[in-house]
Amino acid sequence: MLSESARATRASESRFRIDAPNARPRAIKVIALDVPSEGVLRRLAEGAWENATFLRTPAGAAPAQPVGGWLAGLAGETMNLIEEIASADTIVTLSTAGENSEMAGVVAEACRAQGKLLTALILDADGGSEANLLKTLVPLRPYAAMLVVAHGEDYVETMLTALRA
Amino acid sequence: MLRKEQNDLLTQTGPATPGGAFFRSYWLPALLAEELPEQECPPVRVKLLSERLLAWRDSQGRLSLMDEFCAHRGVSLWFGRNEENGLRCPYHGWKYDHTGQCIDVPSEPEESGYCKRVKLKSYPLVEKGGILWTYMGPPETQPPLPDYEFIGVKPESRFVAKRLQECNWLQALEGGIDSSHVSWLHRGELNTDPLFKGARGNQYNLGDARPVFEVVESPGGLYIGARRNAENNQYYWRITPWVMPCFTMIAPRGNHPVHGHFWVPIDDENCWAWSFDYHPLRALTETEVQAMQDGKGIYVKFVPGSYRPLANKDNDYLIDRAAQKAGRYYSGVEGIAMQDASLQESMGPIVDRTKENLVSTDNGIIMARHRMLKAIKSLQDKGVVPPGVDPAHHRVRSAAVVLPQDQPFKEGAREALTVREGVAPASV
Repeated sequence: MLSESARATRASESRFRIDAPNARPRAIKVIALDVPSEGVLRRLAEGAWENATFLRTPAGAAPAQPVGGWLAGLAGETMNLIEEIASADTIVTLSTAGENSEMAGVVAEACRAQGKLLTALILDADGGSEANLLKTLVPLRPYAAMLVVAHGEDYVETMLTALRA
Repeated sequence: MLRKEQNDLLTQTGPATPGGAFFRSYWLPALLAEELPEQECPPVRVKLLSERLLAWRDSQGRLSLMDEFCAHRGVSLWFGRNEENGLRCPYHGWKYDHTGQCIDVPSEPEESGYCKRVKLKSYPLVEKGGILWTYMGPPETQPPLPDYEFIGVKPESRFVAKRLQECNWLQALEGGIDSSHVSWLHRGELNTDPLFKGARGNQYNLGDARPVFEVVESPGGLYIGARRNAENNQYYWRITPWVMPCFTMIAPRGNHPVHGHFWVPIDDENCWAWSFDYHPLRALTETEVQAMQDGKGIYVKFVPGSYRPLANKDNDYLIDRAAQKAGRYYSGVEGIAMQDASLQESMGPIVDRTKENLVSTDNGIIMARHRMLKAIKSLQDKGVVPPGVDPAHHRVRSAAVVLPQDQPFKEGAREALTVREGVAPASV
């Protein structure tokens, strides 16, 4: 007689798995921290995403602490940072190696206040220098629960698809 | 989440599949050297990448890996008689040499030359580091032999084993690069397993249960760093390299040997989990080898006379609910290897990744799939040699290091992540 485990792991048993959604859609907010990353998000935003919102940080100096109107949509409309973070399930910042990523601190502080984890993605084109990467990575590290350095911008789309954005 | 066609690309490795062509770009572990111990020893059935093969060693000790079945009537040559530099089918006496070339068809006149027209498909089989390696791709693209560090150390500094795992290879590999499961599934073993306990690094592990992860691409695959807080504003890093298609190494602990895995498809629903331990500077101690033989660390106890784990799906992995309740084994299954294997097998032969819900800490898995899918497509469309074929990509190490907080681990541990002759692994 087959054991419970032997019986349950047969390929033929797979067809009895319940075919119903096993999770509610998650709201994923992707925030570009620099101008090149904003360009990446603009290209991505042309795709069909069900659960992703693409945002950018405004030009100028970062405020000392999170403020309501400090965030923008890709069309330039003002967005409320605190509300956006509060309504997100997953928050991803996108940076480009060599660019300033200090704005991450403001986003991270809003995440901390809301008990949300921050994922930081750095695009480091092949052949990029270590100094460039370091400039962007060091300010991000204290805040990111997951930090990914990817060579190609196609990874952003892959990651968002994998996360069901 | 993966789309079905992506899941198929990564999980199907049989002949004439894109994933099969990808795997056939590499030298792969096929057998333990101990399975063909001497000339004219009994042949061994081998299934790799969904191909039924036979491994044997002829009268001169030459290794052979060829089609399992006689070209005449399809009899398994596992019943063959290993004699005078050939394997003779016991049914009608057709005889093959180590290249698969038929050298005798007794029913045909010798001068007819008929036997020269008959040749079984065969693949090169080479012994290196206690493993018999094969390359199953086109001869014209055969790469140089593998050059992983554990292969090159003295035999007394190395221990290699394999075990059957009854699920698709990708489920096993993804367990190997999924650092976030360790704090849960294996939490009971850090202070008790003889091949892990006693390292200072364990205290960092146990003192900070919420590691932070960084994933960085490498020429051959990935580095996956797990970071925990250490004293004096430093970070304790455990860094796992993955080299395509299926090589992973676990970060070392103290002066224990370093260990790692290959996950090699047998067919689409089974794989070999190869495990190795080595120390580049010293012989393994008798105690360490005994622990490995006893199924400690990343090893298992076997069903006698086989490479099937003693705890397997047919006996519900000998699950011990009392030990689970007491917290000795978090899943109730004993031993790190079977804790992983039992859960990966429970997903089914090939898990349906369209239904999964990955989270940010799964970026190592997401990136590995991404890189493999790109490599498969580049090979298929343009014939681009995938990462991990070049032996230079094999010269990696795992590492456990303490670094200043502002240092990228790939920079701070650059030397530690590379094989350095005469230098001990970076370990804490």
